[in-house]
Amino acid sequence: MSNIILEAENLCKFWGGLKALNELNLKFEDKQLHSIVGPNGAGKSTLLNTLCGTYPATSGVILYEGRPITKLKGYEFCRKGIGRSFQKTNIFHNATCLENCCIAAQQRIGGSFNLFKRRNKNKEIIKIAKTALEQVGLSERTDTKAAVISYGEQRQLEIAMVLATKPKVLLLDEPMAGMGHEESQTIIQLLKELKKEYCIVLVEHDMDAVFELSDLMTVMVDGQHLITDTVENIRNNPIVQDAYLGNDDEVF
Amino acid sequence: MDSSFYLVQLLNAVQYGLLLFLIASGLTLVFGVMGILNLAHGSMYMIGAYLAYYFTFLTDNFFLAFLISGAIALIIGFIIERFLIIHLYKRDHLDQVLLTVGLIFVFNAIQSFVWGNDPLGVEVPSLLSGSIKLTDIIEYPVYRLFISGVCIVVAVGMYLIINRTKLGMMIRAGESDRNMVENLGVDISKLFTIVFAIGVLLSALAGIVSAPIVSLVPGMGEHVLISCFVVVVIGGLGSIKGAFVAALIVGLVDTFASVLLPEISSMSIYLLMALILLVKPQGLFKN
Amino acid sequence: MSVFSNKSEKLFIYIFFGIALFIPLFLNDNTFYINKIASIIILAIFVMSLDYLVGRTGLITLGHAMFYGLGGYIFTILAPEYEAVNFWLYTFYVMTASGFVALIVGLIVLRTNGIYMIMITLALAQMTFYYFADSVDYGGLDGLFIYVKPETSIFGLNFLDLDNETHFYYLCLLSLFNCFIFFKVIMNSSFGRIIDALKENPDRATALGYNIFQFRLIAYVIASSLASYAGYLFALQYGFVNPTMMSWDVSATALVMSLLGGLGTIYGAILGSFVYEGLHYTIEHLTEYWMFFMGSLIIALVLTLKNGLAGFLNSFSRGKSDE
Repeated sequence: MSNIILEAENLCKFWGGLKALNELNLKFEDKQLHSIVGPNGAGKSTLLNTLCGTYPATSGVILYEGRPITKLKGYEFCRKGIGRSFQKTNIFHNATCLENCCIAAQQRIGGSFNLFKRRNKNKEIIKIAKTALEQVGLSERTDTKAAVISYGEQRQLEIAMVLATKPKVLLLDEPMAGMGHEESQTIIQLLKELKKEYCIVLVEHDMDAVFELSDLMTVMVDGQHLITDTVENIRNNPIVQDAYLGNDDEVF
Repeated sequence: MDSSFYLVQLLNAVQYGLLLFLIASGLTLVFGVMGILNLAHGSMYMIGAYLAYYFTFLTDNFFLAFLISGAIALIIGFIIERFLIIHLYKRDHLDQVLLTVGLIFVFNAIQSFVWGNDPLGVEVPSLLSGSIKLTDIIEYPVYRLFISGVCIVVAVGMYLIINRTKLGMMIRAGESDRNMVENLGVDISKLFTIVFAIGVLLSALAGIVSAPIVSLVPGMGEHVLISCFVVVVIGGLGSIKGAFVAALIVGLVDTFASVLLPEISSMSIYLLMALILLVKPQGLFKN
Repeated sequence: MSVFSNKSEKLFIYIFFGIALFIPLFLNDNTFYINKIASIIILAIFVMSLDYLVGRTGLITLGHAMFYGLGGYIFTILAPEYEAVNFWLYTFYVMTASGFVALIVGLIVLRTNGIYMIMITLALAQMTFYYFADSVDYGGLDGLFIYVKPETSIFGLNFLDLDNETHFYYLCLLSLFNCFIFFKVIMNSSFGRIIDALKENPDRATALGYNIFQFRLIAYVIASSLASYAGYLFALQYGFVNPTMMSWDVSATALVMSLLGGLGTIYGAILGSFVYEGLHYTIEHLTEYWMFFMGSLIIALVLTLKNGLAGFLNSFSRGKSDE
């Protein structure tokens, strides 16, 4: 039964004359992993940035749970339940992993304007933070400073932070960027688990991972929507092959 | 008050505005290309003025003093960039603020040591000391026209350099994408030194040229710096065109406020700035 | 969990307040020196509020002295010249009024980015300077006086006589202590957690759903109100305010004191104020050109010891450095 949580209708993002996103129409369903692929410059990151409110859309509508959210301010998207992880690791380096997730969780639970309540006293926040760390497999690093953990672990922390905000949608921007094969496996297993609960929109260059994980794939070229289909169909689609081969990207 | 009075005020306003542009363009150029906010920019204005005083006194020739002071200012700019500013490129804004504040302290101490705290003045060079008849009734000091002239020449020169020369191309490129410029094989460190020295020269030039019409006192640098900030904020940091427009606006507001609304005249340009910010938080010409 | 972040801080606070408590006794009623130290303590409160803003919240302002001056002026303007008002009541008035001004200024200033904020705060402080310097009603460049100091009674119980230098000294010291504790408390709070987050990585904080403008505004209002409180104490000490309280070099000097003591450490404000004033006092006797020395020291510190004296001392202590 389809349950569309996030939708883009005629979504456009123009930078002056550059049409980074051009009349995109996409639907993302709950409990599904939907990948966005395409050659460099296709607009994948721009799409994520627009869907999570970092870039205001030039025109078009973004619908969340059926309601338009296009005009909301950047920080309001996350509050609605759209969580986003960054391609370039964007954590709080000087804080422990637990604290990183607590910062994320506190937004959900509230109390941020309380000047006098000690920050570590809120058991609920700590519980959510610890659960998030557990989900991504970082429990041993709970009290370690984020700056000293490995790159792969930092990427896991990125995802943990998003989970701690208790989102419904996960927009993941190249979570496996810069990872070797083994490290990627951890993330792949994690995403397999997560897609049972969340609507995941994944931008990734690691095509093996994309094929393994995706319920649906969308191919974008030059800011436009080329095709959305299952993994099998995309693989065999000559138009898609053309788009990629024409761009010197090693894919299939 | 008749129209001739207003004409004189208008000329004064334009002259003041052009002078502010001269100073502000240096500040905004350095920030736009190098990302450095040089708080000691006002000190350079002060140094220019005092050097002009010193060399006019020494050589009895203002124009010679003009040239010598300008040359020394360039050298000072070069030294400061090579030895101090160079360490700031990888640091944050706060370090820039602190280091350049330290420079202000040092320059103020030097000024006090060499020239003392009493107000000083420079005589308008005799060649330019007359007044020119604008209409039947009003005369306007030639020297003030000279100042405006110098500023216009510099503005045009800057326009030509930035838009027609290789250096200018590098400056424009550096303003939009520093990394890109480096990747294109441009020697960034040399570019930065040149740009910073130009910035210093612009400010010092304003000081040199102002020397015959202002009182040289301690603190003159900071006063000019703050007005310069108002111009740059209104015009948009990094935009030389913005600085030009904003400087003229500020010159007009300041001059006419002091004749029309004397009670709030000192505050007028800051009120203007606050009002503009309420509507356009990034200035008039966002870069 | 301790109030202190590390051993150096704990050590410094104990030593400082321990000594400070007994200063009037050591000085044997030498009122000149008691007043001098009280004035440095007042300065330390001002610097501490600036340190919270710059060092902890990451908002660089060169116009903080505006609130210092406003605190003094608001009191002097509101209080009748020849009547003793209630200290506590007027503390409330001063801090509320300046808090309100800070709200307005914050709304203008905090929507812009870092570099603009530096310039705009400086310009606004200058504007306030001119407002008072050019004013006829508020004493112009000469400033304003009050001739009778407030009385400090609560429900009829009179604690301190503000004309007594030693009493005034203890009031200042108590204020400094309260200020320190207050900042430590809010830093360790849920609010403080977000302030730390948005200082370190504002983009991430926004992406997590925080409206960082609101948090910064609150921090700005708090810090500015406390700066005004310091200005109020200044006015009380000598019964006099003038526009130079708001001049840019008061703001710049406070920033330097913060750097000397260690930006962001809060207790470093106390350390930095005393070190700066101590250096000033000693070197001024040796040479007229103490500015040259101080300027060079600042440059040297920025280039080498990024974390100021506190950071330098921290590296000797075995304690965990602050979060």
